[in-house]
Amino acid sequence: MRIAKLTAVALATSALTSVAPAWADDHHKITEEPLELTVHMHHKRYTKYDEEWPVEQAAREMTNIHLKNVTVGSNSTSSEEAFNLLLASGKIPDIVGTSRIKDFVFQYGPQGAFLPLNDLIDEHAPNLKAYFDERPEVKAALSAADGNLYYIPYLPDGKYGRAFFIRYDWLDKLGLEVPNTVEEYEAVLRAFKEQDPNGNGVADEVPYFARQWEELIRLVTLWGGRSSGSDTYHDFYVEDATIKYPYMGEGYKEGIKNLARWYEEGLVDAEIFTRGSSSREFLLSENLGGATHDWFASTAGYNSSLQDSIEGFTFKAMVPPENVNGDRIEEHRRIPIKPDGWAIGGTNKHPVETIKYFDFWFTEEGRNLVNFGVEGEFWDMVDGKPTFKEEVLNNGRPMNSQLYEVGAQLHARGYFQNYEYEKQWSNEYALEGIALYDEGDYLIDQFLGVALNADEQKVYDRYFSQARTYMLEKQQAWILGSSDVEAEWDAYLAELDDMGMNKVLEVMQSAYERQYGG
Amino acid sequence: MAMVDKESSAGTETIVPKLTIAQRLDRIQMHLKQEWQIYAMLAPLVIWFLLFNYRPMYGLQIAFKDYSVFLGIEGSPWIGFEHFETLFQSDQFVRAFKNTIIISLLSLFIGFPMPIILALMFNEILSETYKRTAQTIVYLPHFISSVIIAGIIITAFSPSAGIVNTFLGWFGVEPIYFLTKPEWFRPIFIGAGIWQEAGFQSIVFLAAIAGVNPSLYESAVVDGANRWQMMWKITIPCILPTIIIMLIIRIGNLLEVSFEMIILLYQPATYQTADVINTFIYRQGLVGGQYDVAAAAGLFNAVMAFVLVMSANAIAKRVSRTSLW
Repeated sequence: MRIAKLTAVALATSALTSVAPAWADDHHKITEEPLELTVHMHHKRYTKYDEEWPVEQAAREMTNIHLKNVTVGSNSTSSEEAFNLLLASGKIPDIVGTSRIKDFVFQYGPQGAFLPLNDLIDEHAPNLKAYFDERPEVKAALSAADGNLYYIPYLPDGKYGRAFFIRYDWLDKLGLEVPNTVEEYEAVLRAFKEQDPNGNGVADEVPYFARQWEELIRLVTLWGGRSSGSDTYHDFYVEDATIKYPYMGEGYKEGIKNLARWYEEGLVDAEIFTRGSSSREFLLSENLGGATHDWFASTAGYNSSLQDSIEGFTFKAMVPPENVNGDRIEEHRRIPIKPDGWAIGGTNKHPVETIKYFDFWFTEEGRNLVNFGVEGEFWDMVDGKPTFKEEVLNNGRPMNSQLYEVGAQLHARGYFQNYEYEKQWSNEYALEGIALYDEGDYLIDQFLGVALNADEQKVYDRYFSQARTYMLEKQQAWILGSSDVEAEWDAYLAELDDMGMNKVLEVMQSAYERQYGG
Repeated sequence: MAMVDKESSAGTETIVPKLTIAQRLDRIQMHLKQEWQIYAMLAPLVIWFLLFNYRPMYGLQIAFKDYSVFLGIEGSPWIGFEHFETLFQSDQFVRAFKNTIIISLLSLFIGFPMPIILALMFNEILSETYKRTAQTIVYLPHFISSVIIAGIIITAFSPSAGIVNTFLGWFGVEPIYFLTKPEWFRPIFIGAGIWQEAGFQSIVFLAAIAGVNPSLYESAVVDGANRWQMMWKITIPCILPTIIIMLIIRIGNLLEVSFEMIILLYQPATYQTADVINTFIYRQGLVGGQYDVAAAAGLFNAVMAFVLVMSANAIAKRVSRTSLW
């Protein structure tokens, strides 16, 4: 009865759309009779699965697979908490979709809580198989310590994340060029500081600021250092097939030394450690901030929102300045794999149907559905490309929230994002900046993580957190000038060795070699 | 037969030890029949304690186990004191423990007298309107959430626009970036705690002062005592039992530093003086998900708190004959 009713709802939805739905035929049907599977789906933006989401109704109609919401812990925004509650309840549903699922499946998959997907994909999921065959490195990154694949991730599309932004109108006013090298960058920041580009007669300009103080540390790339290997701060990175930690290299030392000097000279926001996430909004709208390193889309947006209040306001992307080794590096990019996604519960009685269902979202129709919403309601096919309807794009509401509401772009589902969806509502300045970055080759390879086995995990847990705390303490102390990096460097490395950091690097390396074949 | 036995035994106390088990059960049954309303009223509280305070103690065993969420509390293997050894071998845990003690003791010694002083001062205010207004103003911070208090502190101590640095600037002092200086963390944290809670805590002492017998003051006035003497000789001695009880309770919570406030205010640059056991546990848990180590640290914290409250109570009993039990 219930299923019949849901089908009726889905049919009604389809009947409402003027365009004949592309999914009217049966070629995506996985089962003849409707099959019900239970699902736990938790993400901080939507803490439970909603059977009424239009995207879900469409998928149900196309595949005949009916997901039934059994999410545990919906009243919490922490997916970890919800997942632990789910484990405590003792019943793993047929499908588990959540943020941070990677950690959960890596730990509990080998113990039997989730099904290994390798054979299922090879035999029953042609679209997933094609995706992985094209990208063996992604498959390697997804594998747990026992070599098995336990989850299908949310795979973001689009390359660029953060970029160097600078006030072009201030540069013009002071007769300066866009800085090309680290020396020029420093000279420009100093000019911002000393030559009063905002013209209020007070030297209140904040040359370099950032919403996250880690973005200050990111500038060590200008001296050949590294601050992180992935889109997570303070992460490991890979160089010549060796796992390294960014805060132990010569380039990092040079970088910190110079950043400490910048900090002392006031080229960097004096309050960078405490100003927090509102600093960009505040410093830009008060006409104080000169340069930052932040996300393309949201930062470029200030060009529109502030153009009336600040005359000539132009805050645009510039290519990364050449570092001391002559390289231009943009360390941050969108990571191609997120640790979010979904997996098949160990007690699922229909693994074949479930993997076929997962595969559906990697077909063209499924991918369009999850990226753009329901065809005919949100978008139409124009020149072979899904294109958002005018009334959806221009109704004044943020496009991404509109999509979340209908069940599209759910990151607790395994799917391959299509950057087109975002491009269609991106600010022109952001697109201009992306075009600028596309001209060069500034991005560097990302560290996609390793799966530690139980013994390695023990070593990692035991030493890493405290060594990391020590490194961050020193990092801030050096920048703030309370101690000197040059004088302390050797003692610092010795202390890290003492704290077991080399053991951590060893287990990371052994896991890395197992997973990516050295 | 049983009825007769029970009646005869109920009459005389001396027979009690000689009762058989059956007879005792009978007595209990009788007692329950008579007094069941009282037990019914007690039951919710007992159940609450069992459910929320005693049942979770079962989980404490993971402090001695190599805990895996999937294996569960029962299934995880025992490993003895390994987690405690790990903790005490770590410099950062020892430092966190030291900081916890220092911050707790400082807030106790500086923070505890404040509400008493406030209450005494309120008591001396003659104008009712002024007194009520002043009281309301000092209570208010208690009702603001920690997140907002932290925001206020960060703004107030900001080197560019903060009121503190602006004030110091008038005297030619260079702006200080207080929140990144390890030596300033404790004063700011403890000061903020006093500012937030002193007013509200003074309510208890004001109530105690209101309970002092007015005839004591009247006779003191007749004897020519001034207000200062009355405060020292009458008010303080009369509220001393309240002060001691509050002190013991406070000592019991000594190690429970309000760590959400520390999380909001600290920086790697100030870990040196700011990192307490709870923030240490929080970071360990976030990076490693080490529930077992965290449970060990928590258990250690609880044992320390228990020792502290027991000794404080013993000392109070000896010194002033006032105690919790």
